[in-house]
Amino acid sequence: MSHIHMEIEQLSFSYEKKVPVLKDISFFAGERESIGVIGANGVGKSTLLKLLVGLHLDFEGSIRIEEIPLEKKTLGKIREKIGYVFQDADSQLFMPNVFEDAAFAPRNYGLPEEEVNRRVEMALRAVHIEHLREKPIYKLSGGEKKLASIAVILTMLPDIILMDEPSIALDPRNRRNLIAILNQFDHLKIIASHDLDFIWDTCERTILMADGGIVCDGRTEDILRDEKLLEEHGLELPLSIYRNNHAGYAENANI
Amino acid sequence: MSNISRTIYEIQSLDALAKEKRWINELHPLVKICVTMLYIGMTVSFPKYCLGGLLAMAVYPVILFTVGELSFRAGLRRLRIVLPLVCVVGVFNPFFDREIYAYLGKVAVSGGVLSMVTLMLKGVFTVFASYLLIATTTVEKICYALRMLHLPKLFVTQLLLIYRYIGVLSEEAGRITRAYELRAPGQKGIHVKAWGTLVGQLLLRSMDRAEQIYESMCLRGYQGEFYYGDKIKMRGRDIVYLCIWTAALIALRCLPVTEKIGSLFM
Repeated sequence: MSHIHMEIEQLSFSYEKKVPVLKDISFFAGERESIGVIGANGVGKSTLLKLLVGLHLDFEGSIRIEEIPLEKKTLGKIREKIGYVFQDADSQLFMPNVFEDAAFAPRNYGLPEEEVNRRVEMALRAVHIEHLREKPIYKLSGGEKKLASIAVILTMLPDIILMDEPSIALDPRNRRNLIAILNQFDHLKIIASHDLDFIWDTCERTILMADGGIVCDGRTEDILRDEKLLEEHGLELPLSIYRNNHAGYAENANI
Repeated sequence: MSNISRTIYEIQSLDALAKEKRWINELHPLVKICVTMLYIGMTVSFPKYCLGGLLAMAVYPVILFTVGELSFRAGLRRLRIVLPLVCVVGVFNPFFDREIYAYLGKVAVSGGVLSMVTLMLKGVFTVFASYLLIATTTVEKICYALRMLHLPKLFVTQLLLIYRYIGVLSEEAGRITRAYELRAPGQKGIHVKAWGTLVGQLLLRSMDRAEQIYESMCLRGYQGEFYYGDKIKMRGRDIVYLCIWTAALIALRCLPVTEKIGSLFM
């Protein structure tokens, strides 16, 4: 693994003509940065992540990963560097059991079976699911699937991790576990989420999106504390901040 | 459990059965494929009135069910959809071929009845042989062995993906019907009026899931070929298994085994 950066310039994209989903997005993501992408439903967070990993190539503007432009001929090289965790873990896991799924990428990259085993063990240990090694995918709970889908990308030893709603379906313990794992990962990571508390705990920088564009890009602490800004764009303060700002809210809410 | 949930459960349990650590599961997949193909070839090669000889071919499924510790009842239950279709194949024979061929005590047996029973037995045996193969070998190992037989990459990958997508399709169908049943309490099955919409939904959803799975594969370096892990080594017991069954099947096909056994009791 090495530290690499990502540069996005004037990125625009639409699934249908005249209905732009992303409009003129530009930002620089430096190595080791943790960036949270937030915004109301349908603002284009997932689409942005899909573009960054080359799932749609018919975009306008440019995406460069470590100076390599994202295009069809560089796709293979770029995808080796990026691990993408899908929003829906069921779509990510397709092999019969956790081991086979985790071994899929290293085998495709032609690694010898010993190295495949080593990487799978390492990835499963990193997300604390070693005991699920032989478990069939269909027998995993929602939270276990989420952790397994993170493990399967860790076997690629990615330089960049992109995550779409990673905290969905996780119970509090697994959520804390995932936060700890992400905070240990000292490469570039971009996390799209509605879970502002999760972003608060994992990202130093936040990009607020609305109507397919970037409204605000800055320190997480500044953006997530700005109640007015968040409310203007269909979001609310993270619960942890809300609790501090509105002391006694629990009594009022009869919690 | 709804029908679809049961189907999903059966696919999954068949997968689990194939992954168990029994000696028969551990045999080299290529050997099992070769024996299965040889068995099917021998079975279908019996002439249409040769019921006696064909009966001897029951030895293979009987031995595998017994030695492989597989439940015959579970196998029969899983094949309940296919077996009637197999049996329908020869059902018209008695109408076309009425010539008396043999007597069973005082009952005359026409050539049509005999050929119908022969055809049905051939169908049942071949279906059982296929079941025994997939119940003891994972689809990945079957595909691995097919690649060893130099079957085209495209064909083998299609086979594997179709098998995987059956699960995806069934899961989506399960979700849709569950959502329908929860909002149609007391109604048995799905109303005809809703079929079109549900099938359309199923198609769109499963296409969507299939596309996402494909994207997930591509993002993890998939370039058109599956890698099945370590090379599976052919061991002594695999060769012994192959030799024994090859000799036994050839003997069962070429020698009048049932006649010899029958003559012992006459």
